Amino acid sequence: MPRQCDICQTARAIIRRPKTGQRICKECFFYVFETEVHHTIVDNRLFSRGDRIGIGASGGKDSTVLAYVMKTLNERYDYGLNLFLLSIDEGISGYRDDSLETVKRNQQQYELPLKIVSYEQLYGWSMDAIVETVGRKNNCTFCGVFRRQALDRGALMLDLDHIVTGHNADDIAETILMNVLRGDIPRLGRCTEISTTGDSYIGRSKPFKYAYEKEIVMYAYLKRLDYFSTECTYSPNAYRGYARQFLKDLEAVRPSAIIDIIHAGEAMKVADSVQLPSLTSCQRCGYISSNAVCKACTLLEGLERGIPKLGISKAARHAEVAATDAPTIRSGKAVEPVHFERLREKALEIRRQRLEGAPLPTAPADSESCCGSSCACTGDACS
Amino acid sequence: MCVKCKAAKPSVTIRRILYCKQCFVRASVVKFRAAIAKSRKRVDWPRTKVLVAFSGGAASTALLKLTADLQRMERKGTDAEPPFTAAVVGHIDESCLFPGDQENVIRAIAAETDLDYNSLALEDAFAPEEGRAALLELVQASMAPGTVRDQIYARLVQPALASGSHADQLKALFAGLESATDREDMLDIIKTALLLRLARESGCDVVLLGDSATRVAVKAMALTARGRGISLPLETSAESQWFHDLLLLRPMRDFTAKEVVYFNRWTRQRSAHVPTFTTGGPRRASIGRLAEAFIVELDQDFSSTVPTVCRTLQKLEPRTEALAAAACILCGFPAEEDANVWRRRLT
Repeated sequence: MPRQCDICQTARAIIRRPKTGQRICKECFFYVFETEVHHTIVDNRLFSRGDRIGIGASGGKDSTVLAYVMKTLNERYDYGLNLFLLSIDEGISGYRDDSLETVKRNQQQYELPLKIVSYEQLYGWSMDAIVETVGRKNNCTFCGVFRRQALDRGALMLDLDHIVTGHNADDIAETILMNVLRGDIPRLGRCTEISTTGDSYIGRSKPFKYAYEKEIVMYAYLKRLDYFSTECTYSPNAYRGYARQFLKDLEAVRPSAIIDIIHAGEAMKVADSVQLPSLTSCQRCGYISSNAVCKACTLLEGLERGIPKLGISKAARHAEVAATDAPTIRSGKAVEPVHFERLREKALEIRRQRLEGAPLPTAPADSESCCGSSCACTGDACS
Repeated sequence: MCVKCKAAKPSVTIRRILYCKQCFVRASVVKFRAAIAKSRKRVDWPRTKVLVAFSGGAASTALLKLTADLQRMERKGTDAEPPFTAAVVGHIDESCLFPGDQENVIRAIAAETDLDYNSLALEDAFAPEEGRAALLELVQASMAPGTVRDQIYARLVQPALASGSHADQLKALFAGLESATDREDMLDIIKTALLLRLARESGCDVVLLGDSATRVAVKAMALTARGRGISLPLETSAESQWFHDLLLLRPMRDFTAKEVVYFNRWTRQRSAHVPTFTTGGPRRASIGRLAEAFIVELDQDFSSTVPTVCRTLQKLEPRTEALAAAACILCGFPAEEDANVWRRRLT
């Protein structure tokens, strides 16, 4: 006797939901998955009507499903948001070029405007070049730091109000575990925040904070969504792998463990007596930073000067100090990043033009390059 | 060469530092004293009797020896008074659930210290305490009628209140729990409740717990995985005043499991084997077992794991909502009122 769906009691149950173990039908699964994200968005008041939202799109399952669900919910519940796809090209051949093709297909499939910014264009260094210089250890640091800034730059070029990323419950749970294991107190205090906002940078949110990775995959599969699913070619023995394995084991013992870890993480509070780093602006590019020079600029400087460990190991800083007298040979590859003040000015200009009703295309003329009048990057950064 | 005396050949490496036998033992004693002194500075307590929680395992044996020696030590100057007026051993007899003859061994080990020995058996959780109803009758009495209460009643209280000796009731209670994780959880709850009761009945205001650094790190991972972030700082900190009439201290919190074992070995301190439900079992048998396997293995590759986790925990403090919250009837730690609401929006 075929089993009925636990929720609607009518259709036949075809899947077992990873999060709750319920046996449900396809339509109910779509409904509960989408509704939980809707609850997450509404309960945490992530957006306001009229917001221009950039969806961080890598072509992978999380960001593809995110784009699809955001569009669906925006229409179903009339959030009144303007959605854009924002994609970063790190310059990893054989991996990123393929996933970018997926994003371009998503642009067609979901009818959302797309902007791509690349490390090559922003910083003058692609990940391939970086790995050649730095080696296979610590390269994730470069990619992560550059990507963070690249997303903010791309968002300013489009004059966006908010960025959303596809971080899912598994990611957040792993991060919590990692931060406890590595003693990263500042991050531990922040990592469970669903939304980070501030005056000097674009706010970001994680609508999938409570969505299980297995369910995202299931959703993408059942909806036949188009996504790219290979691991980064430079993906190494990152420390995160340990936390990930532990999480997978925990999920096998008790499926609710993922949400439980997030719940535990939300309850963790850093003691008031603990000193946390204060935030300031980078002297060189104006990005938010806890030191005089932001991490991206520090890493870039290291690459230029052939001290690739600058910003990663303390020994490198001593080498830098020692070498200031001798003339250093610079690689000349780096592009001077556009100062954030300039980007913000340009963004305000676009906004003014938009509000005054001047007709502007909402997407750049050609999604490959960003040299369109709607874009805030300066001519020299667009190469 | 040994890093401290620089004369003798080293016999052990602790966190990449070499020690000879004598220096290691001496350093451990000093470390223990410093831990008590630091706790004293953070939470000044009036001199009183102390209950030493003693399970018979390696860490609590080390704790017992160190405490007994500390109390007996000849001292002068500002440190003239021992930190406690008297020390009493407190043991919970688990042989109802884990039959064996460890109890004699445990009693013998404790006898070597000449301290008073008080013990309660696990099944005494069903015996009424003076002034307080038996643990599980409280559950039944305090909950509002409804499906949640009925479920808990059916799963926990009903089998437990069935007729029979206390031992039978205890076994029925544990048989009614579905997973090994739940059984380990319940065992902890009962042991803690009984220990606190022992402390009160012996006239002690302070309880020393033998949680080693490794145990604290494992506990932190297990509590996080079970969603107990709200009580995490209270269950792992060096000093905990959550139970208003009793101060809990964990002076072994700076000793990793390796240090405990070597200390016992070189002071010829024997300890007993104290099993739990998943001892020697596969790693996915329970969350506690999994957390232990994870931390111990990770610590082998990254030797700073256990100390880092302990340091991180020490920098966390309970939220104001936690401190103001009502105590859970079962485990005694802060209860979250709206956890169910949160969960319902997301599942």
